[in-house]
Amino acid sequence: MKRIGVFVCGCGINIAKTVDVKKVVEEIGHYPGVVYATDYQYMCSDPGQKMIQEAIEREHLDGIIVAACSPTLHEFTFRRASEAVGLNPYQCEIANIREQCSWVHQDKEIATAKAIKITKSIIEKERLNDSLSPISVFMTRRALVIGGGIAGIQAALDIADSGYEVILVEKEPSIGGHMAQLSETFPTLDCSQCILTPKMVEISHHPKIKLLAYSEVVNVGGYVGNFNVKILKKPRYVKEDLCNNCGECFKVCPVVVPNEFERGLGSRYAIYIPFPQAVPSICTIDADACLGLFPLACNKCKEVCEPNAVDYDMKPEIIEETVGAIVVATGYDLLPSEELKEYGNGRNPDIIDGLHFERLLSASGPTQGVIRRPSDGKVPKEVVFVQCAGSRDPEKHLPYCSKFCCMYTAKHALLYKHRVPDGQPYIFYIDVRTAGKGYEEFYHRVSEQEGVVYLRGKVSKIFQDGDGLMVWGVDTLTGKKVEITADMVVLATGAVPAEGSKKLFANLKLACDENGFLSEAHPKLRPVESLTPGFFLAGAAQGPRDIPETVAQAGGAASKVIGMFSQEMLLHDPIVAVVDENLCSGCKICISACPYDAREFDEEKNIVRVNELLCEGCGACVAACPSGATQQQNITDDQIREMVKVVLGE
Amino acid sequence: MKLPYYPGCTLKDRTSQLETTALACAEKLDVQLEEMPNWTCCGGVYPVSETKIVNLVAPFRILKEVQEAGDDKLVTICDFCYNVLKRTNLIIREDSVKRTRLNLFLSDDDRRWAASGRRVGEGQEYDGGVKVLHYLEMLRDELGFEAVAAAVSKPLEDLKIAPYYGCNLLRPPLEMDLDDPEDPRIMEDFLGSMGAQVVEFPYRIECCGSFLSLSSPQIARRLCHTILESARKNGADAIMLSCPMCFYNLEQKQSEFARHFPGFRPMPVFFFSQLLALALGLDPASLGFERNFADPVPLLKEKHLV
Amino acid sequence: MFEPKIVCFLCKWCTYAGADLAGTSRLEYAPNGVNIRIMCSSRVDPEHILWAFDRGADGVFVGGCHPGDCHYQDGNYKTLRRIELFQRVLKQFGLENGRLRLEWVSAAEGRKFAQLMDEFTEQIRALGPIKLGSRKGGQDGGSTKKEETS
Repeated sequence: MKRIGVFVCGCGINIAKTVDVKKVVEEIGHYPGVVYATDYQYMCSDPGQKMIQEAIEREHLDGIIVAACSPTLHEFTFRRASEAVGLNPYQCEIANIREQCSWVHQDKEIATAKAIKITKSIIEKERLNDSLSPISVFMTRRALVIGGGIAGIQAALDIADSGYEVILVEKEPSIGGHMAQLSETFPTLDCSQCILTPKMVEISHHPKIKLLAYSEVVNVGGYVGNFNVKILKKPRYVKEDLCNNCGECFKVCPVVVPNEFERGLGSRYAIYIPFPQAVPSICTIDADACLGLFPLACNKCKEVCEPNAVDYDMKPEIIEETVGAIVVATGYDLLPSEELKEYGNGRNPDIIDGLHFERLLSASGPTQGVIRRPSDGKVPKEVVFVQCAGSRDPEKHLPYCSKFCCMYTAKHALLYKHRVPDGQPYIFYIDVRTAGKGYEEFYHRVSEQEGVVYLRGKVSKIFQDGDGLMVWGVDTLTGKKVEITADMVVLATGAVPAEGSKKLFANLKLACDENGFLSEAHPKLRPVESLTPGFFLAGAAQGPRDIPETVAQAGGAASKVIGMFSQEMLLHDPIVAVVDENLCSGCKICISACPYDAREFDEEKNIVRVNELLCEGCGACVAACPSGATQQQNITDDQIREMVKVVLGE
Repeated sequence: MKLPYYPGCTLKDRTSQLETTALACAEKLDVQLEEMPNWTCCGGVYPVSETKIVNLVAPFRILKEVQEAGDDKLVTICDFCYNVLKRTNLIIREDSVKRTRLNLFLSDDDRRWAASGRRVGEGQEYDGGVKVLHYLEMLRDELGFEAVAAAVSKPLEDLKIAPYYGCNLLRPPLEMDLDDPEDPRIMEDFLGSMGAQVVEFPYRIECCGSFLSLSSPQIARRLCHTILESARKNGADAIMLSCPMCFYNLEQKQSEFARHFPGFRPMPVFFFSQLLALALGLDPASLGFERNFADPVPLLKEKHLV
Repeated sequence: MFEPKIVCFLCKWCTYAGADLAGTSRLEYAPNGVNIRIMCSSRVDPEHILWAFDRGADGVFVGGCHPGDCHYQDGNYKTLRRIELFQRVLKQFGLENGRLRLEWVSAAEGRKFAQLMDEFTEQIRALGPIKLGSRKGGQDGGSTKKEETS
């Protein structure tokens, strides 16, 4: 039988006032297995801890119980003290006789009796405790960053700058994301390209970063520290190492299609780079548009390509990598205008969204920064901006606030006014939300000094009316219906998770909220971690956010990765589920009970195994197991049964 | 295909041309619409505009009789009846208290019910299981517009028609669930199946004023005038609609428009069933155009459809 | 007066922390319940509850995190389903449903925990001792998984 020592703390008078500490010691001292019991005024003090350590050594104790405050407070303290003198820390248990006894009961006799019961129940638990040690895992100190927008770029650079390797995967031909599409950024009106491009170039030159653009993550296996990732590298039909982006191929390509980067406002050839500053600076052939790929109808680009980079026979490639941590930075898209039936159903060319307008404003955009409406190229003299288009509308569209639209709409109106001084911008809004450094001041400047008309109310309908667009809205401050004939309408459409992210997140088994954005481990205290260990979140994949917040969060995610990599080994709590192979009948009920996919079926032996690295130790599977084959380390059914017995006074 | 059919009062009186043409077309399309026996008024707007349960008895009884006759669908033509019956049905399905009370109210004999030992909620109560179909919905979902297109003998090729939905067919959207309330397609697709040229105009889902034409006629007049002018501006020869109330406001009331809106030119307004009858080759003289204020015959002559 | 014996299974992250908060806030409540700390309410096997009743408990309390707050994603939903089902089984054993109670108590709800303890104790007191003819006390009569299978 184990030799157990019990140490009852008086906690000054916090415990001793209502619990007769001496009586507890006396009673426990006679309890089977207890070879030593004593009390002290402050067990957690240095002399108290020393007393415990000496007793462990002197009495050759196999296990100790400290009857004191909640284990939340000092379990760690006492386990560390035990470990220092060679007692396995999992042989040290705490009986909570302060928070859950002395502080909540007044009658000394009752409180003392209850303290004895509590202590005995913990003794019973301890009696059956195993000596455990943390499960240590070797980890691959290489990170995968999914998404090459500003969030992914920042996270990749921060991790790589600390000396760890990074694989950055971007599904588009170039990194840069939506930030590369923006003209100027609020509230400082920095040119977006000018501040982003250096970071993009740094990615391409960084010795620790492996950039896989035009690629997608298709599968992730393994667990924290050792993920096996399969990445699909889509064929560009242009050899990356040979293309020097001379642009000769554009001149001969006969196929013109809308350019996605310009959101369809500009055009590109079937062989293209999305925008001049693209990284990597390599041409891509759009397989859907090119004439030469399948029926060999045209090979003009191949003919003119001096470095002979064009390769029509290129095949998709699967690249396999092992990484230790994954940063998910897949970003957002705007709610498609087709969803907004009342606002033209996405069919009217002059009803555009915020990113369209960014391209119109951009000096490198399809109109060289001159504001022209898409239908006929006319400079619009009356422009209506509709905030919350599809946002904050739980009945029909998105229930949430997309956070950055108030600010970018104010910026749009300001930049429009600067480009078209005789034009009149109107902004319909529900509320103007400007919680950010310098944001409120910027909004005041726009609304008070720049001649922008802010109308508080929603727009009910927009339709073509002759040459212009009829906008029906309401001004709730005057209570009047408003009708404006506009030349162009800009919808500040809400942000939604990026296209394809739903599938990706399901593939990675990452938890999402009801709107499809990634869930964080804790909304306040663990905002950049996912509930699944080893996954970290950056940017708008977690919810709409602006650039400063995205960069800060990406840095946070990166530092979490760096922190993890700087440990010698990954340590995992050993309070995990274990399976008794002799009892397991292979019914697989536990597999569905496990929220972490930590259980796998062994076809050969017809039993279920636990991957203890994935097991988080909730115990749901133990309760689900019909044959008692599964137990949780140090919280076994036997332990619970013995505790119940003692609690009930046996 | 055989389906029970509920006409409603207006179709037997002021807009009988809607019923006669719709029934004639159904026959031509091999759909037997059998007028249900013992039908009563659906209650007009009252059943769903007030919370009083007694107002729901009339539509409830109609639906219950359909189920008792062993049918699970009911076709309506009038938008108002469609709206009232469909919404009542939803209330019956979702509100168990109202369902039970209405069933009790209409049970033949309370004592017999009690003596049978059945608890309320058991047995032959009506549970909202009948599917209420608008005639257009029947064409779309039961028959298919392809079948309509196949039956067309006289395509309405040159006719530029602006479809007008009004409110009752589409709203409230969650209850009616016929089509997208902001961007409906059913009438456009219907016109397409007959070969007509569809004119889309922004006012196609705006209200005609409904009963305001009785209490505040000037408001309804202004709304209807805007609707007609918008259709005209977008190139329409005529308007197509399905609701007797809209017909009254948009068509019959055109007689007063010239007085209030100088320069107003009357515009033909068709019931959807009249156009269908034309396209199916029925005798134009039998389509009740004589009841229109704005005579559509000259237009049809011009397009060589009569 | 009848003093019921109550066993409380509390999840470590929410209800146990809520019970700690009741202590920190010095809220006095009925002393009848004794807490057993588990990692998650989903660790509670219905069999544990049966053991407790078999061993002389008059009531069993299970505390978990509020829906959506589970530290282990959805453990509390599993608990909810298990307990709901198990209530039916208890009824067949002749035990009143009021003897088993599942509650969500967050780490911030010390007051709620204290109130629940008082309330549940009163509830059990009103039900009185369990009146089962053949209750086995003292002997190791409760069937356990180990015994069944070994």
